[in-house]
Amino acid sequence: MSGRLGRLAIPTGTLLVMLYLLFPVVVVVLISFSSARFLSFPPPGYSIQWYAKLLADPDWLNSLSVTLQVGALTTVFSTLLGVPAAFALSRYGIPGRSFVTALILASLITPTIIKGLSLYLFYVPLGLVNTIWGLAAAHTVSGLPYVVINTIASLRSADRDLERAAVIHGASPLWAVMRITLPIISPGIMVGAVFAFIQSVHELLVALFVLGGVEKPLAVKLWAGVRAEVDPTIAAVSTGLIGMAVLAYACAGAAQLLSKRRGLPAAGP
Amino acid sequence: MAADKTPSRGAAVRIDRLRKTFGSAVAVDSISLDIPAGSFVTLLGPSGSGKTTTLNLIAGFLSPDAGAILFDGAVVSDVPTHKRNIGMVFQNYALFPHMTVFDNVGFPLKMRTKLASADARTRILETLALVELNGFEARYPRQLSGGQQQRVAMARALVSHPRLLLMDEPLGALDKKLREQMQFEIKNIHRSIGTTFVYVTHDQTEALTMSDLIVVMNHGKIEQAGTPRRLYETPENQFVADFLGGANLLPGTVAAVAADHFGVAVEGGFTVQVPRDRVVANAGDAVSVLVRPEEVGVALTEDRQAGTECVAGTVTAVGYLGDSLKLEVAVAGIAIGAKLARVRGLSIESGQRVYVSWPRASARLLLRSAR
Amino acid sequence: MTVPVADPAPARISLDRALVPALLLGPTLLWIFFFFLWPLGLMVWQSFIVKDAFSLDHYASLFTTPIYARALWTTFEISIICTVGSLILGYPVAYYLTVGDARIRAVVMILVIIPYWLDYIVRSFSWLILFGRRGLVNRFLVDVGLIAEPLQLLYNLGSVLVGMIQIMLPLMILTLFGAMLRINRQLVAAAEIHGASPWRAFWSVFFPLSLPGVYAAFLLVFIISLGFYITPALLGSPKETMISQIIMLVATELFDWPLASAAGVLLLAVTIAVVIAYNRTFSIERLWGGKEA
Repeated sequence: MSGRLGRLAIPTGTLLVMLYLLFPVVVVVLISFSSARFLSFPPPGYSIQWYAKLLADPDWLNSLSVTLQVGALTTVFSTLLGVPAAFALSRYGIPGRSFVTALILASLITPTIIKGLSLYLFYVPLGLVNTIWGLAAAHTVSGLPYVVINTIASLRSADRDLERAAVIHGASPLWAVMRITLPIISPGIMVGAVFAFIQSVHELLVALFVLGGVEKPLAVKLWAGVRAEVDPTIAAVSTGLIGMAVLAYACAGAAQLLSKRRGLPAAGP
Repeated sequence: MAADKTPSRGAAVRIDRLRKTFGSAVAVDSISLDIPAGSFVTLLGPSGSGKTTTLNLIAGFLSPDAGAILFDGAVVSDVPTHKRNIGMVFQNYALFPHMTVFDNVGFPLKMRTKLASADARTRILETLALVELNGFEARYPRQLSGGQQQRVAMARALVSHPRLLLMDEPLGALDKKLREQMQFEIKNIHRSIGTTFVYVTHDQTEALTMSDLIVVMNHGKIEQAGTPRRLYETPENQFVADFLGGANLLPGTVAAVAADHFGVAVEGGFTVQVPRDRVVANAGDAVSVLVRPEEVGVALTEDRQAGTECVAGTVTAVGYLGDSLKLEVAVAGIAIGAKLARVRGLSIESGQRVYVSWPRASARLLLRSAR
Repeated sequence: MTVPVADPAPARISLDRALVPALLLGPTLLWIFFFFLWPLGLMVWQSFIVKDAFSLDHYASLFTTPIYARALWTTFEISIICTVGSLILGYPVAYYLTVGDARIRAVVMILVIIPYWLDYIVRSFSWLILFGRRGLVNRFLVDVGLIAEPLQLLYNLGSVLVGMIQIMLPLMILTLFGAMLRINRQLVAAAEIHGASPWRAFWSVFFPLSLPGVYAAFLLVFIISLGFYITPALLGSPKETMISQIIMLVATELFDWPLASAAGVLLLAVTIAVVIAYNRTFSIERLWGGKEA
């Protein structure tokens, strides 16, 4: 890679790869505003008819509600479980700590089809199939790793002396954790929570097994729509999902910024 | 300045056979120590010596594997940290960034006491005056310089009149001039407050300047504990001799034992006389002779005065330090360092043949340990 | 020193020192047990059941029935190609991120992370629009006159790979980038000062040092590729059926839960095997800041 040609090769290559990665986004977003009645790219004109159609469709709205409920429950459970677990793993020399960590992270690399199938087998006799709580419980397993990893990373970069300074000057250890450490690491926790939420919103296979009936989340309905390939409504849903993700990550980013402004040494992942 | 002088408000601290290991590494190796009430004690040693671990054990951030810590005769090893009623200044100050100086300093009062807010306010302002930060109450830590943050940290640690103040290398992040200034200020605060100070540092100058009692630590054990003068003038082993101040340690063997002195055959082939102290040594023991560089004189002619040891050598290095001259002289293969004051007009060059001499009485015998 | 107080107290692990981590970690472990491990156990158990008796029939069936055996092989094949493809495309980008200046790095980084905001359905679906008979590519080629009839660009190995690589690339790039950052670039400078051309310096210093990271990224992407469902289902023909699709088919259309479980166990076993290989280079302890092996 000598000379000018070599110098250009990598940036050019990178640019092409970037296009490869992003073109689909652009395509889908543009089509969602298409004035045509079927999927054609580029769109002949622009309109918001598909969004209007979506918002008027009770089925889609119901799916949105289901998705948000499952997502919210997943996020709450993942955070309530994951943050204390992260503290336990970070601060205490637990025997077999690596093993426990591996266990928590295992769901990240377990193929989702397996998770879906096994949970279905588990849920049927318990009557948890087709329940929002059932799906949320399942998604929590997948959301936990994100919260745990981000919280552990935040704890690592947080200045532990602040907590010690509070304790030695009279604060109980619990007070110090809640009022000093948690605020400092909360941006990091938020990032983890957002990942857990988005993971739940996007997840398809477990949802197909566990909540594929009348009440179904957006991902399931989207999947059916995409196979049918009828009209750009699908694109509008997809764009909506993108928007939801952007909003969620923006919130996490804003939390980080805000915390920096207040002078807290924001310990991010 | 507040005249809040309650004499000996500090606690007497006793450490009894304290031991702490991390896995297979022994950080603190069954040490015992008595810290008098109201004194300024420095734990001095290189990194890994166990001084910080000992401090953390006293603070309660670590639990001992064996042994006990007592404040005024009462065992505190089981008392949780936040109930020990002590203060601490951290290396990076650890000021709460989202609180003003006023709230930072007032924190221990809020946590520990039920002082009425008017009384608390008075106390906070008094303490700020003590560290000479009047007028800074409304500022935030990020608006302060390193030195100012350090003082806020001190004020916070002192405001509730703790019986013990711990300081973990608090001056490490400051530049030299500021550090020296702060050393005196800390000492002054100690004198006016009267509480017990336990200070950790690796800097021997700091220890010598500020302490009533220095505890030299190495590999988790206490090498020697004593006043600065005692440690400097009568170190009990090579480590302490070398750690505090410059030291020439001439290796040799005891050749003769007389009533008031030892004759030591120094490796390299000359014999010196060393006064007998409380050190017990027999003929044939491997020893080192300690001679402080400032005791060493360098001249072009031999010094035949009684009571003076004198040997010939060649100058190998010369360093000009402004207020002094540092010389290294090779004497029979051994490097002897000399520190000469008042160098104006003196001209010595590398390669010159000179005579080094020192008063016999200033030399000291140290047993050579395996360490 | 005066008279010691008493014999030094022996080490006491007081009850609450063990209690606190147990309380913090317990709920999580219980949750993972009930909603992850136990179900997996059920699945494994189911795979060995034929009419209430232990049997390996289902596994035999998987290997002997042509459709299923093909799918096993196809899964492996597609995953390897996808991983290699991602590596080839991703390595230069990761390298660029590592050596490029801060501004470029920030921009590229954002562009790499944006795809994470999309779900797999969207990303696969967009290829349908681009490569369909009436899609952008075909219409362009027809309009320009290069072809008369629209090409069949979809529902083949190519379209599946294009879709999968697009999804796996960000992960590959970020993992490689993370590993490359740890390489001491002064070593490359040292090579250049002593006569190596930039290319030689890269090839004989940087590249070999990046290999452990390459290995780790390869395994990671491979593991995840194995489990793909959406992309091959949407963009592939029956010839590109991967094992997840088999499992879905057998479970939801044939209702043969034991057979589906067996396939699931196979997939899980391969995943675990690859993880063990991964762990050799890239152990979990690094999470705690341990030194690189």
